[in-house]
Parts: sequence; structure tokens; C-alpha cells
Amino acid sequence: MHGWAGKRLRVDLTEGKYEIEELKPEYLRKWIGGRGFNSEVVYHETFAGMDAFDPRNPLCFGTGPLAGTFAPLSGRTTVSAISPMTCSYRGTDVHGHGDTNMGGQFAAYMKYAGFDQIVIKGRAEKPVYLWIDDGKVEIRDASHLWGLKVKETTKRLINELGDPDVKVACIGPAGENLVRFACVVNTFSSAGGRTGMGAVMGSKNLKAIAIRGTKALTIANPDAFAKEAWKLREIIHKSPSAIRRREEGTHDLFDAGNIIGINAHKNVSTGYMPGLEETYGGLQWAAKYLFRRKGCWSCPVCCGRYTYFKEGKYAGFHCGGPEMESVCNLGPRIDTYNVDDVNVMCGMVNDLGMDSISAGAALSLSMEAFEKGLLTKEDTGGIEFKWGDTETSMKVLEMIAYRQGFGDILAEGNIRVAEKLGRGIDKLVPHCRGLEHISVDPRIAMGFSLGYAMSTRGSDHLKNYSCLEFQGCAMSRKALVDEVMGELKDEFWKDFPKELYTLTTKPKLVTWSEKNKCVADLVGCCCQAIGSWGGAGDWRAYTPLFRLATGFDMPDEEIFKAAERVVNIERANWNRVGSGRQDDTHIDRYFDEPVVDGPYKGLKIDRKEWAWAQEEYYRYHGWDNDGFITPEKARELDIPEIIPDIEKGKQLYFEYLKKKGL
Amino acid sequence: MADLYEKVIVIDPDKCAGCHSCEMACSMKNFGKNHPYYSRIRIQEFREVNTFIPVTCQACEEAVCMKVCPMGARYRDANGAVVTNEDACIGCRACIYACPFGAPVINPDTGKTMTCNKCVGEETPWCVRACTMQGALQYVPKHMVSKVTSRKFAWELKEEYKPKGAKDEEPKFSFSFA
Repeated sequence: MHGWAGKRLRVDLTEGKYEIEELKPEYLRKWIGGRGFNSEVVYHETFAGMDAFDPRNPLCFGTGPLAGTFAPLSGRTTVSAISPMTCSYRGTDVHGHGDTNMGGQFAAYMKYAGFDQIVIKGRAEKPVYLWIDDGKVEIRDASHLWGLKVKETTKRLINELGDPDVKVACIGPAGENLVRFACVVNTFSSAGGRTGMGAVMGSKNLKAIAIRGTKALTIANPDAFAKEAWKLREIIHKSPSAIRRREEGTHDLFDAGNIIGINAHKNVSTGYMPGLEETYGGLQWAAKYLFRRKGCWSCPVCCGRYTYFKEGKYAGFHCGGPEMESVCNLGPRIDTYNVDDVNVMCGMVNDLGMDSISAGAALSLSMEAFEKGLLTKEDTGGIEFKWGDTETSMKVLEMIAYRQGFGDILAEGNIRVAEKLGRGIDKLVPHCRGLEHISVDPRIAMGFSLGYAMSTRGSDHLKNYSCLEFQGCAMSRKALVDEVMGELKDEFWKDFPKELYTLTTKPKLVTWSEKNKCVADLVGCCCQAIGSWGGAGDWRAYTPLFRLATGFDMPDEEIFKAAERVVNIERANWNRVGSGRQDDTHIDRYFDEPVVDGPYKGLKIDRKEWAWAQEEYYRYHGWDNDGFITPEKARELDIPEIIPDIEKGKQLYFEYLKKKGL
Repeated sequence: MADLYEKVIVIDPDKCAGCHSCEMACSMKNFGKNHPYYSRIRIQEFREVNTFIPVTCQACEEAVCMKVCPMGARYRDANGAVVTNEDACIGCRACIYACPFGAPVINPDTGKTMTCNKCVGEETPWCVRACTMQGALQYVPKHMVSKVTSRKFAWELKEEYKPKGAKDEEPKFSFSFA
């Protein structure tokens, strides 16, 4: 076996047993890796309507064939399970597919230890951690680690096991307390944040996975592989966008984001925040706080940040990150210019083991609801929420992680907060499928907007990374845009860059972008090189490396098809619980209220256009008009086993529509 | 006499971001497979403070490893690198203990020690090429080493001595004086 480690580890925590399974070539060919393996397991080993905290819910850690090799940007792990966070319009207890992708070093060491995927099921009686040493697996007592924060847990485990090469993925107090948006953090501060995979881990009483591996990964065709890897590396070394990403980190997106007014501000009620780029901009940030860059495995760019406070109130405080999304959701989203406090909050959230996006969303929702009088001091136990109040925010973040007082309610995720409190708070929750929006206003960048709604893990840009709609990305990759848009290319360029807020060309772009992003997840590489800074071009940057590393002679089309299969099986996971077109939309706010500030003041989504875009999108995917995968499509993608499930899901869907009189 | 045009690998740990690209490049070049244990350069990580120190053979002028090797297996190559003659090496690891950096590493295949050979035949060693963007590793002639390393510290002192109010450009501490 080349490229892949070739094995899957299955752990049953209830029984305290484990099993190692060889992966067959046909299986590898069909699912490729990482997100592919995970989505396959999450679909086939669960059933429609399974609760996320059910012990049978498989928590999967998967990496791809390129992870841990000399291929650049190859350090990504995907963590998947049925998500406690996401839900359908049929009810907040109807969960669907959830996954999250993290960098760091865990992926590489999983492979060196001999595993492409780790699947964890069951529930341990007492807190345990998993110690994987070169294929030997032990379930060990973790009562001494329970309650510790992420950094402390990682440090103690490394000291206990006595090897700095031990890599740890763990949860913090938030995961232990089943905060629905808890995250898994590896290598001290590389977090897999979204969809609450940390809570699933916590529900299994699994505090951490410690891993060590000494086996080298072999490459099918080393000389040609090295040559190809160098080619891609040199492209990245010279790419101006990569150089900028290295200098400024993901914070470089603030400038552009604020100019077009798409950064979340005040609970994503508007996208523009005056003076944001001067306060939060990448260079300003780096000059003041950047201690040193932090690189994921085998990445020449190293966009990761490490914060260190030289002076001021927090002198001496240091933490990994923050990334742009964390800053934006704990900063502009709660309307503050206090970057010091925002950085400290980002560090705090990471250490407590929570998703910074959903945590910021919980704060900003409380603030807006409080301002509108929908939330009072009686509900919150005396806490007064005010826009930009970072001091209270810090307190509340701790309360969420430990589920104290009002924090216990917020820890359920915004949609459940709204459900519990009623009073029309749900109108203020920017979400799709129960997962809160990231920091991009869905009324402006329509590709992103459509992507949120269609995403297979709830509102998130990292499933439909349609960056090509933005001026900078499109201009630097003109030929690619032409190729992707095909017959729509004139339409795309006609109104450029105003096409940003039109839907006409977006269904096609989103369909392509989904698969584009998926290829990166499958091979275990970073999507940014083919997405936001895009220096490496598109998914085809990874395919020659994939072939040379594994020796599998798969043509490009077959790999792209595999990506489509993965997107479809994730969608099937939603379809079978009756989630279709009704879920593929935004909350009423974005259809009714126009943007209040910034260059795109006055924009809102048109309902008619949206309905058209939905149908177009389904058409490009080969799905039916209600957003359900057709039997023909399932057969074409060689996943006919989903057909009966989807039929059942469709019935649920129509029953629901009938009940509601739609 | 030292050859001032002989190139050496110079390390600036301050720029290292701990991505391990150098290790991947080294193991790829020399073994055709990937693992840090097959690499002759190793990053020593102190993750909790985000500090990374790349350690590799410095090819010392007075190489202790050559002196302590009981088999005389450590020798200086034509390009200045100090390497192990694996036919003579018995794998006693004395060179590792004696090295002030602990730089020699054990070849997982043979159990004998190995050190950097500066990628004989390549213009630039692969680890240095892999670090192009970060610049923590540089491959420069010996006569440049102290000039640039020292200028980095001199820059901070310079503020006190330069004409008051005179403006200058941001320093770019790089070995390429283009």
C-alpha cells in the first residue's frame, strides 16, 4: 500500500475493544480518503433519526492519501459524526450529517501510526483516553484529565507519555459538558470547530486521543512524486496571494471583506463595520500581536498565527490563533473594536474547547435580543447584554463552557435557545440547518449565500467554497472561471464585479465549488490553496500527486466523480430524515430586511430568484425539484443503497408539507 | 584555511513555524518515503510556547563526532559535510552523545547514524528549498554568515546611532542581498 496507510481502526468504548480493518483497493478507489471515508461510515453505520448523543453514533477521524507526505499543505484531518448542532425544519431533535476539518499535526501522525481512519463508537463508563502507539491501541483511564482545559490536557498527556512526538487531539470542558458546539482541538490549538464534534466525543466519555507513529509512508513513484510536489511548492512559493496570506494570516480577508461589506457585524444583521480594516486588518494585527507563525504539517505558507501580548492589561498572555473567523465572530459580530479583548476571548474559547463562530453567535444573539427587549435580566439571571461589552462576554463564555446559569441555555446553540425562549427570537437567529452563519452576510455574496443554504453541514462556507465569485479571485484565475462557467461565462463577466450579488450564474458555480473543495478534503490537503487565496489553481493541483503517491491510475474525472459521490452521500444523510428544499433556504430576515449600511446598502434576497436558484442548483446536481437525490443519480454514482432511504425521507417531507398546508 | 565560499545551512529559529516541510523534503530526497525519523534535519518543538528549533549537523570545523568515533566512520565529504561511512559504522551512537547539538540521528533502516550531506549534487539542499517562504533555513557561503546574522542584531542598536529623524525602509533580514 502506497500513500494510504491502508487500515481503519474501530474502537468500541462500551466493550473496551478495538479492531483493525484492512481497506480494500476498491473501497479506496470509491471513497479516496478523509471526508470520503468518514461520510461513508456516518451514512452507512447510522440510521435516519439517530440522536447525536446515541452511543452508536460513529465519531470518525479521517485523513487522505496525501496527508503526512511531502505534498504541500498536507496536514488535514476531517472529523465527522451525526451532529448535535445541526437540525432540520422538522424539529431541532432531527439531526443530520456533521463534519469539521482541522489542520495541525494529527493527520500526519495518524498515518505514521498506520491508520487512515479511526472510528469510535460506544460510551465508556468512566472518562478515558485512547493511546495509539504504532498500531497498538489502549483505552486508558482519564479521570485525572477530566475537567482540564485543552492546553493543560495536551501538555499533561505529552509529559505523561514521555515523548514530544506524541500528538494529542482532545476536548476541553465544553466538550465534557456537552455544549452542542464544542470542538476537538489537536496539537494545542488547531481546532476542528464546527458542528459540535467535541460534544459527540464528550458524550462518549472520551477525553483525548494520543497518537504516536514511527512507520514511514511509502510513495508509489517517489521520484516523479517529488518532482510534482516541488512543482506545486514552487507555484505556491511564488504566488503573491500565498505570500500575503503568510504575512497577514487569514486576517487579510478583513480588508476586502469590509470594502464589499460582507463581514458579519451585529449578529450578521449587517456586513459593514466602519473602520474595521484599520482595527482588525492583517498587517495591523501582525504588528501588534504576532509572536510567530504556526504551521500545519508540511505547509510552506504557515498562515497560522500565535498571539503574544507584549504589554498592557494582558501582558504575558499567549495563545494559538486567532484566525479571521474567530476574530470576526467574537469581534465585529458583537460590535466591538477592542482587539485586545477579542484576542483573549479567542484564546479562551479555544482553551475551553468551543467553536468560536457559534460562541460568538450565542453572544451576539443575546445582545440583539436584549436590545430589542425580547430578553430581560430575569431570563439571563441578572446579566445585562450590551453591544460591544467584552467584559460580560468573557464571563458568559465561561458560563457556556461550564453550563452555568444562562450559559446552560446558550450552550444548546442559537436555534434551541430561540425554541426554548420563544417570543420571536428565532427571527434573529441567522442559521441554516441549525448551524449559525459564519461571518459573511448572505444578502451580498450570493454564491456564498446559496452555498450556506445548500451546505451538507449547515450554514458554512467551507462546504461550498465558491470564492471565484469575488473580484480578486476571479481576476487572478480568469481562465478557470471561463472553464467552470462554460456557456454562462459571458453572463458572469457581463456585470462583473456586480455579478457578486446576482444569482444568475451562482447555481453552476456552487455545484462546481462543492466538488472542488471536496477533492482537497478527500486527499487530506488544505482547501485554501484552491479556494480563498487560490495560488495553486483548482482541484487538479492535487490529482497528479494523488496518482503518483498511491499508484492508482485514476483519471481526473473519476476523482471528481468520487467528490460528487461524497457530496451526494452527505446530502442523502439529510434527505433520509426528510430534509429537502424547505431547509435549503435562509431565515426570513434576509428576504425581508435590506442591508442597512455599507456599499451594498439596500440589498436583500429576492424570493422568486431564490426559488429559481434552488431549482437550477438541483438541476446541475441531477436532483429532483424538492432537493431529493434521484434514483438515477444514485445509480450513476454507484450508491444505489441510498434509494429506499431517500424514498422514506421523501414521504416524511410530503407528510410535513401536508400537515403545514403547504 | 577555511574555504569562505563553501556553503553552509544557517538556521534562524525565530522564523521557523514548525511546519516540518524540511523533514518531509529530507526524507523524500534520501529515502523516497516520508517520516520525520527518516530525516536528517529535525525540528525540536516547544508547542506550548509556539517555539521551534530546527537542528541539523553543523559540519563543525573541529568536528567532535569525527574524534570520538571508535571506528573512524565519520568523515568530511568534498562539499564540507561531515557524514557517516555506513560500512564502517557500528551504530554505537557515540557521535550523538558527543555532538553539542545532538544532531546525528539514527537511520531507522540500519540503526547506524546519519547526518546531513547537504544534498550532494543539488544546487540547494531540499530542506532549504522547502523553507523558501519562511526563510528559517538558508544556504549561504561562510563569509556571509556572520555579516547577516550580526546585522539582525545591529539593526536594533542602530536606532541609537543613526541621524535623528532619518527615515529608512523596514529591514528585511534575508541572505539575498539583491
